[in-house]
Formats: sequence, structure tokens, C-alpha cells
Amino acid sequence: MSFVCSLPTLRRTILSAFFLLFVAGFFVPSAPAADQLTVYSGRGERLIKPVLDAFTTATGIQIELLSSGTTELVNRLKAEGDRTSADLLITNDAGSLELARTAGLLHPLNMREIERAIPGQFRAPDNAWVGLTGRFWIVAYNPTMVQPDQVKSLLDLADPKWKDKIAIPNSSSEYLQAGVSVIRVTHGDEKTRQFLQGLKTNAGSQVYQKSSQIVDAVAKGQVALGIANHYYVYRHLAAQPGAPVAALMPDQHEGGMGAIMNVSGVGIVKSTKHLDSAKLLVEFLVAQAGQKLFADLDKEYPLHQDVKADPALVERKSFRAALVPLYKLAELREPTITLIEQVGLR
Amino acid sequence: MSTIRHQLVSPLQLVTLATAGIILLPLGYVTAQALSADPVVWSRLWATRIPELLSNTVSLAASVAVITLILGVSTAWLVTRVEFPGRRLWEGALVLPLAMPTYVLAYVYSYLLGFGGPVEHLWQLVAGPQARIFSPHSYLGATLVMALATFPFVYLLSRSALLSMNVSFEEVARASGVSRLSTLWRVTLPLMRPSIAAGVALVILYVVSDFGAVSLLRYQTLTYAVFQQMTGRSDNTAASILSLLLVGLALIFLITERWFRQRSRFYQTTGRYRAPQRHQYGWLGTAAVIGYLGLIVGAAFALPASLLIQWSLSPEAQATLDSRFFGFVWNSGILAASAATGGVLIGLPLAYLASRRPTILNLGCLQAAYAGYVLPGPVAALAVLVLFTKLAPVFYGSVLILIVAYVIHFLPAGLQSLEPALQHMSPNLEEVARTLGLGMRATWRRVTLPLVRNGFVVAWVLMFLQTMKELPATLLLRPVGFDTLAIRVWMEASEEYYRLAAPSALLIVLLSLPALALLVSKDWRAA
Repeated sequence: MSFVCSLPTLRRTILSAFFLLFVAGFFVPSAPAADQLTVYSGRGERLIKPVLDAFTTATGIQIELLSSGTTELVNRLKAEGDRTSADLLITNDAGSLELARTAGLLHPLNMREIERAIPGQFRAPDNAWVGLTGRFWIVAYNPTMVQPDQVKSLLDLADPKWKDKIAIPNSSSEYLQAGVSVIRVTHGDEKTRQFLQGLKTNAGSQVYQKSSQIVDAVAKGQVALGIANHYYVYRHLAAQPGAPVAALMPDQHEGGMGAIMNVSGVGIVKSTKHLDSAKLLVEFLVAQAGQKLFADLDKEYPLHQDVKADPALVERKSFRAALVPLYKLAELREPTITLIEQVGLR
Repeated sequence: MSTIRHQLVSPLQLVTLATAGIILLPLGYVTAQALSADPVVWSRLWATRIPELLSNTVSLAASVAVITLILGVSTAWLVTRVEFPGRRLWEGALVLPLAMPTYVLAYVYSYLLGFGGPVEHLWQLVAGPQARIFSPHSYLGATLVMALATFPFVYLLSRSALLSMNVSFEEVARASGVSRLSTLWRVTLPLMRPSIAAGVALVILYVVSDFGAVSLLRYQTLTYAVFQQMTGRSDNTAASILSLLLVGLALIFLITERWFRQRSRFYQTTGRYRAPQRHQYGWLGTAAVIGYLGLIVGAAFALPASLLIQWSLSPEAQATLDSRFFGFVWNSGILAASAATGGVLIGLPLAYLASRRPTILNLGCLQAAYAGYVLPGPVAALAVLVLFTKLAPVFYGSVLILIVAYVIHFLPAGLQSLEPALQHMSPNLEEVARTLGLGMRATWRRVTLPLVRNGFVVAWVLMFLQTMKELPATLLLRPVGFDTLAIRVWMEASEEYYRLAAPSALLIVLLSLPALALLVSKDWRAA
């Protein structure tokens, strides 16, 4: 009897052992194969995937992409620590990269290719992160509703005459936070607070998650003006030539702040087990070929000195950028968020 | 004998206790984190966000409750008390909106009602080229979408009430000379009150914890704010504080719902002595009834579904149907299947012990498992995240934490099928089997399991379905390479790439339909 019983029991034990093995393999994060990289990306998947695909085609190295919010990914990297499967972090904001660097999440790099391609002000002193592309806060306007000389400065958007006529990004977007930081440094907290207050009133419910939606709303005439990163306007125009939307470079007047600049960038995660492949990817992204993809597909300003921006864009040399070093964005972030919350932006 | 029993029961008891612990721990952690937060953070949130978020959440819940009440009760009354062509068909069609996840409905409506969208064009033909309609990205828009998505809850419960109600009360009223309308008002509706209230409470709970629709319609509620705090801030303190408020709010509604459900049991004991007479209207009345039902089913299901089909057939959408797309399908399937299996395995001992040995401890464990009801997706994600980073960081970034979040979140849905399945089965059957010489294990395998199998299947399917549609927890916890269909819908829809989102959305709806049929057939048997 006991023998008869033990047979199924034995089988069951073996089965459950297999099951447990399977479960363990499934649940514990596994290190990807050698010729594979895991990229955490805080940029829109549409903007980064084509470039990563080009890298895969060129090198045969497969890329697993996790697209999510930049801050969320930095939080995730912190929590995962050395166990993370991420090899690289790509973000839409230099401040987030600097925060990741100061948290010790990124790997310093000593690569001639980087130093030759990207000017010093667009990367960390130890190259733990490297800027890839430049983007500027512009005022997107609908030429059928607004004349470009009606707005000189970003701060003009807080004017009550634009009530219900402007669209702004959501307050958790890193690029809004970075922009507000720059305004704080230039104009001080009190003036920034008034500006944000006006922005909040004027925008009403026109607060968007994505820049593309803001540009879309302007082009449709739902609002007259919007704050967005420049390339969304040009991407919109490339997809729909002749759409009634244009970009206006603000704060260029005598004594003005200059356009607010930020960079997208990349850093290698400190605990990566694929340092060589990861370096290959960074090299690809900063080299002329990679930079040209960003310029052509995404309409961003390449940071490589020898790569030209899309001819449709405003010539980079023709306007001034605000004078706030990118790495400063990291330390400015917390007080900026507090100010944004005090004003109660959505 | 007693030693055998002892050996068998105590591991089960341990499992139950451990489960209840696992479910309550995350909630406890979030609460602790919120309560130990710097008072400065609390006062900042009170001064800036909380009043707006609370009033937005409560007013949305209130307006949706009113609309679903009207839609749900009126449709239930029509299909049970009026005879018209295709009545049985309409009876089923009114449940179909439950197959539409709120985020799918939200994105379809943000296209339809959007600036320069088709509805506005139609309206401009009537009211002149400058006319505007209300924006879907508003209180009104969120109300409309949530009401269309949730009214079937009220409909189903009201319908059951109308079918099981003793018609003699109404007949007495009519015989005493009370008018038909007055009977409805003074007899029928008061008798239905517990069911209606339970349905509305369910709707409110659903609205309060919804993330998909409010995020796409950019309407700020507590649930959406928790998600934004988690993704936009480097620490989770503010998110925990908002979560605690949200849990409190949901708890109030949950208790209300329970309270009404207890009372409704009392009413449902009165048997129905014969089927109510169905009234037949003239052709005009019949046309009006069908028009009304058609409008509701059309707006909540037929129109969105046909748009999804049309978009899915567009060349851009077809181009996305590559191996990557099937990867998303596979991810959705495997995650949902794991969560459903996990949920059943965990729910079974809980439900079994609570029905067989209803000690305070066992009942308490069962109640703990219902905590998932008051943990909206982002909160469940936050809770599990906090727990794992504190206790078992090795699993961070793995599939396990996502599945734990799903199980915690959806266990109540499963338990609601498991619990009655076990309760309906008389313990005598097991006792007979034992007397006839079957061992504990054999009794389980040959008597208990076959009897509760249907409850199992329903529980599994329900959890599978809910997990497959789940959005916020998946967004926050998914490991690398685990994008699901729901994620794809949300990512494409939030950039207004309506066509690209359509195939994934359509597939979710199609997969939901069989599960819905199962759910409804269960309900119909119960009625």
C-alpha cells in the first residue's frame, strides 16, 4: 500500500521540484546574454527606438528597451542597486542624469571619442553622463491666431490677455521642472512664482502630458500658444507640411534670459556587466552617424560640432541660450518642485 | 484521526495567516510611511493639492453615481417589465460595456469629442461653424466615460432584484388603486433599494480607483495623483500620504456597499411566486424603448467597438502587427495566467478555512484578503514596491513583484466566486466521504475539488481578465521586456496615436467577451 502510494507522491515531488525551478528561473531577474544590452529610457519610444535599431543593425547587439518616465527610472535604478539588469540610462533631461551621477549610479568614462565629439559643457566632468542632443523651450504659436511679435519672452505667457489661449506641460514632466529652474535662477523665486501663477490661470485645463499634444492643440487652433520643446513643432511640420504652427524663440531681446536649453543624454549604469558593448553604444550615439539620426529623425540640435541640424530649424548660431550650467539643474530640482507644488500647477 | 486532522489543518492555517500577512503588510507599510512623514509635507499637500483632488474625486464619483443610477435602473426595468422585439438580445447587450476597459473608452471618446473631432463637426453643421462642444478632457468628459463604462454594474444588480422580487407587493398596490407610476415609485423602487445601492457603491469604488480613463482625460483624481507623485518625485512620501487618503475614501464606500449587501440579503429571501407581467407598448412606445437602449449600448459599446475595428484595419495599424506585437500578447497572457493561478491558489485556503472553520482568526484572514478592494492600482504598486525594497530587494525588477501586486489587487474578485462555491457545498458531503473510509486527501480530491471546480474556473477567469486589463501597476512595476497590451494601448493613446493603439485595444475587448459571458451566465443563474 505504502509503495503504491509513494509512486505518485514521488512523481509529484519531482514535478513540484521542476515547477519550483521553473518559477525560480522566471522570477529572479536574469542577466541578459552577452551580446544584448538593456536600456532604461525616459525618452519617448518613438524618438529613441529608431536610433537603437540602427545600432543593432550596425553591430548585431540586441537591445531590450524599457521606456518609462525619467524620474521613475532613476528611482528604479536606485532601488535595484547592483542587481539591476540595466546597462544604460537614457533620459530627456540633464538634471536627472546629474542626480543619477551624484547618487553613484553611473559609470565614469574615459573615452577620446566622447571628448572629441561633445563639447565639455554638455557632459559631466567625469563623463559619467554625456549629452546627446540639445533641445530648447520654444513658444509654439498658431500664425492664424497670433503674430510672432506679440510674444517676446516666456514670461509674457502669464499675461491675462492669454487666458484660455495657452497650453502647458504637466508639472511632473522633467523638462518643465528644468525650465522653471532656469527661470528661478534668472529671475528669482518671487517673479517665478507670479509667472507660474499666471501660467496656471491662463492654461486652465489645457495641461498636457506630452509635448506632441501641445503642438497638436496649437496646430488645431484649440489654443493660440503653447510651451514645448522645439523639435515637436518641426516633427509636426515634417509629418503635416503647411500645418498652422510655428516656433518662436523667446527671450532673445536685449538683456533677455536667452532660450532655455536642456539636453537628452546617456550614462552607463555602474553595475553593468556589459561595459564594452555599452561603450560601443555610447560611441555610436555620439559619433556623426548617430548624431545625424537624431538630427534627421527627431529634429533635435546635435551636440556634435560637425553635424548639422535639420535645415528647417532656426540656425543654432542665430540665438542665445540661457546661461545656467546643465549640471546645476540637479540641485535646483527639489526647490523647484516645491515651488511648482506651492503654486499648485497640475 | 484528530492528529491527522491537526497535521492537515495547521499547515493550511499557516498558509492562510501568511497570505493575510502578505496582503496586509504592504498596506501597513504605506500607512506607516504616510503617518511618519514630515508634517511639513502633509501641510504642503493640504495647502496645495489635497482639497482639489478630494473635491475632484468626490464630485466625479457623485455625478457618475447619479447617471449610472438612472441608466442602470431604467434599462433593468425596461428589459424585465416591458415586452419588445429582441428583448433577450438587449438584455445581454447591456452588459457588453463591461468588456471595454475605461482607458479604451476614454481614448475613443477623446477622439470623438475632441477639438475638431467628428462630433464637433456634426454639431457645427447644426449650430454654425464657430460652435464648440464641451471638451472630453474635463469633468464632464470623465463623467460621461466613467458612467458609460460602469452603468452595467447597477443594471445587473437592479435586474436581479427585479427578477427575484415578489410581484405580489406590486399587485396589491395596483389592486388598491395606486397608479402604475406611483406603484413604481412607492413599491418597486423601495424594494430594489438595497440592490441599487450596492450597485452604485460598486460604481463609486470603481470610479475612485480608476486610473486609465482619468489619466487619458487628464482629470485629476487622487488615484491619478498618486501615480504622478510616484513617477515625478524622487521619494514616495507624498504618494503614500495621498494613498492613505485614497484608501480611507475607498474604505468608506466599501463599507457602505457591504452594509447594503447585508441588507439586500434580507429582501432576496422573499420568493417570487410567478413571473411579473411584461407590459407591451404600442409601436411608438416600443420604438422609443429600443431607441433608448440602442443609444446607450451604441454609445457604450457598439460605436467604440466599430471605431476600434475600423482603426485596426487601417494600414498604419496593420503595420504594427509584427512579432513585437505578438510578444505583447504573450506577455499579457503569461502575466494574467500567473496572477490568476496565484490568486486561486492563495484564495482557496482562505475561503476554505473561513467557510469550514469560521473562527475569528480565519474570518479575519478572509476579510484581510478583501483589502485589495481599497488598494487602487497605483497604491497596490506603491505598497508592493515599498515592501519589496525593504524586505526582499532581490526580487525588485522581477516579474514576481508585479504578480504579487496583481494578486493583492484582484484577489477580492476571485474570492467572491470562491467563497460562495465553498459555502454552497454542504460539509455533510465531505463527512460522508470520510465515514465511508476516504482519507482527508482523497476526500479533497474526489469530493471537495470537483464540487467547487466551477467556482474555481470563474474565479480564475475573472482574475485573468482583470489582470489583462490592468494598467497602473503594470506601468509602474513591469520588468524590462514585459510591456503588455494594456501598456501599448495607453502609451499610444496618450500621444493620441489612435490608430496604433487600436489593435491592442480591440484584442483586449475580444478576449474579455468570453469571460464576460461566463460572469453573466453565473449572474443569470443566480437570478
